[in-house]
Amino acid sequence: MTRRSAKATWFLMSLFLALVFVASVAAFSSASSRSDQAQQNQIQLGRHLVVSHACGDCHGGGSNPAASGWLDGMRDTITQQFRIGPFLTRAKNLTPDVATGTGSFTERQIFNALRYGLRPEETADVEITSTTPGQGNFPLHPHYLAVPMPWPSWRHMSNEELYAIAAYLKRGVKPVSHKVQDSDGPPDFWAGEYTVAKIGPHPEVKYPTANETGN
Amino acid sequence: MSDRLMLVTVLVLSSTLVAPSSARESFDAPATSSAFKTDAANPPLLVNISRRPRTVEVNLTAAVTKLSLQPGVTSEVFAYNGHVPGPTLDVREGDLVIIHFKNNLPEATTVHWHGIHLPFESDGSPFHPIQPGESHDYVFTVRSGSAGTYWYHPHPDRRTGFAIGKGLFGAIVVHAANDPLPAMNEKLLILSDNRFLNDGTIDFPDPASHHGGIDEENGREGPVLFVNGQVMPTISIRSGEIQRWRVINSSAGRIFRIALAGQTMLQVGTDGGLFEKPVEVRELILATGERAELLVKGGAPGTRVLLQNLPYDRYSPHTRPTDWSVTRDLLTVETSNEPPIMSASIPASLHKVIPLDTTKVTAVRTIVFGQGIINGHTMDMTRVDVSTRVGATEIWQIVNIVGMDHPFHLHGFQFQVLDRDGVKEPYLAWKDMLNIPRHSTARIIVRYDDYPGKWMFHCHILDHEDHGMMGVLEVKP
Repeated sequence: MTRRSAKATWFLMSLFLALVFVASVAAFSSASSRSDQAQQNQIQLGRHLVVSHACGDCHGGGSNPAASGWLDGMRDTITQQFRIGPFLTRAKNLTPDVATGTGSFTERQIFNALRYGLRPEETADVEITSTTPGQGNFPLHPHYLAVPMPWPSWRHMSNEELYAIAAYLKRGVKPVSHKVQDSDGPPDFWAGEYTVAKIGPHPEVKYPTANETGN
Repeated sequence: MSDRLMLVTVLVLSSTLVAPSSARESFDAPATSSAFKTDAANPPLLVNISRRPRTVEVNLTAAVTKLSLQPGVTSEVFAYNGHVPGPTLDVREGDLVIIHFKNNLPEATTVHWHGIHLPFESDGSPFHPIQPGESHDYVFTVRSGSAGTYWYHPHPDRRTGFAIGKGLFGAIVVHAANDPLPAMNEKLLILSDNRFLNDGTIDFPDPASHHGGIDEENGREGPVLFVNGQVMPTISIRSGEIQRWRVINSSAGRIFRIALAGQTMLQVGTDGGLFEKPVEVRELILATGERAELLVKGGAPGTRVLLQNLPYDRYSPHTRPTDWSVTRDLLTVETSNEPPIMSASIPASLHKVIPLDTTKVTAVRTIVFGQGIINGHTMDMTRVDVSTRVGATEIWQIVNIVGMDHPFHLHGFQFQVLDRDGVKEPYLAWKDMLNIPRHSTARIIVRYDDYPGKWMFHCHILDHEDHGMMGVLEVKP
């Protein structure tokens, strides 16, 4: 091979590698922007669900994400503290502050709170496959959220919707350091209030029931 | 003030009271023949069977036996060499220590030398279980400068709380090559509690029951409080005399808050040995596994004073026991009718604690304590939660995000507390236990000087530890 043809080969190889590199960057960038868009969509869905399900009515800020105190927990004992029998319960800080909010929880722990009612600070980050205590990673002694929290209704949302709420709380809201006093509660951590007889089955029974038309 | 804290002046410190152990017999020697002074309340000592200098070689067996822990009632217990608490391991800085251990229990066990800096293989962690009928030699050299009060107990996977509740715990005293405190009468105070059924059976409810759930939540406590395995023993002291008390909280879940009614004490040390300076205290909170060294002075001739456990609210509001606010008596301190003696003078400076260098920190880690979980996980012995290397210096920020206290324990390496909730620690000390109160944060600094291996860090409420509130720190060579 002559020196000239070697040079040409080097030039063509370099050009090819450069084109491959540019194409890779473009593909990566495109995938990355798709991933960014997917994340944005997830957070937007979560935000919509949080606003439309009135989380802020108890946890702060009402239905307005621009309001002061948005989701940062009880500041007003009139509207954010509840007396359930002998117990006082208080709406928690849902912003992702590590020490006082949800900052140390994974999105799966928040999902488990919304689907199964399990307190994320007291339940391991695991995939739960049963609701029988001691089986399928369901805790032997479950610690449930206090009864003002309407998780028995919200658990019927899809996995996608519940994970979207978790994504919004973890990645869509700025952390606020605000310590809320612990809620009181019964020694069974509300287990007696969350029997199937009281909160119904999950998933919901097949349509139609005797109360429904079947149309 | 002079460089010596003139609390009191020495008149008499009988040399017989501080005589070294004279008998090296093949059974556990009564406390009267040892470096521990005449006091029926002190547990016996493990007897050194070695004739080599600077070597302590002892036999230790764990077995099922029956003992009367409360007057008139017999209980089936697990015991070290037939005693609850087990015999004291009494050593000096620099000693080579060999423990010939035999497991005669019906279940696997280990012996963890709590707070001692030693090779991973001798730590007695869940990584090295000793099966029923098997023997194992634990071997380590006592580190220079580590004089202090430690303890030993089982640490098997998921069974530590049960084994300690059944009676397996004992003290370790490491004597200094040059102790800055004058020789004085020393007392061990091993604090524990327990709960019994009417027939004397130690009460361990079914874990699936409501009662078992409360134990899992709070950490198992009992209404019967013991000092050295005795209910309300008496300690005798002479007017003006100063005694050195080495206090160990060996309970599974109870955090002690001790006080001498109407009298202050001088705290001179904690887990890893003496402070730089004595600190006068009215009361002392001692988390599970934590130790303290106290100087206590005899009162007027013929008087008595109670050492009490004051209420301490460490509980979640859901499961706080209804009797948590009860003050309970631990022991009586009885000042004899003999005429007062002049007390020992206590040095103002005790033991230099060199601060670990924060400019050498190679990693800052956040350890989040939930209820029964650390950083969202329960214990998995196949997982490494923190990985580091020998020689590294690290800051650990330990955040308790729940409404219950969790006492933090790190195996193998003593640490120093930097601050608690942003407030600088008032004095330097070596620690291996640190209570992290509910919704609070503490920062510690630790240096992994040597001894690579897999070390545990965990909550020392044993029901929490046994249910997975524990992690693995791997120190690579």
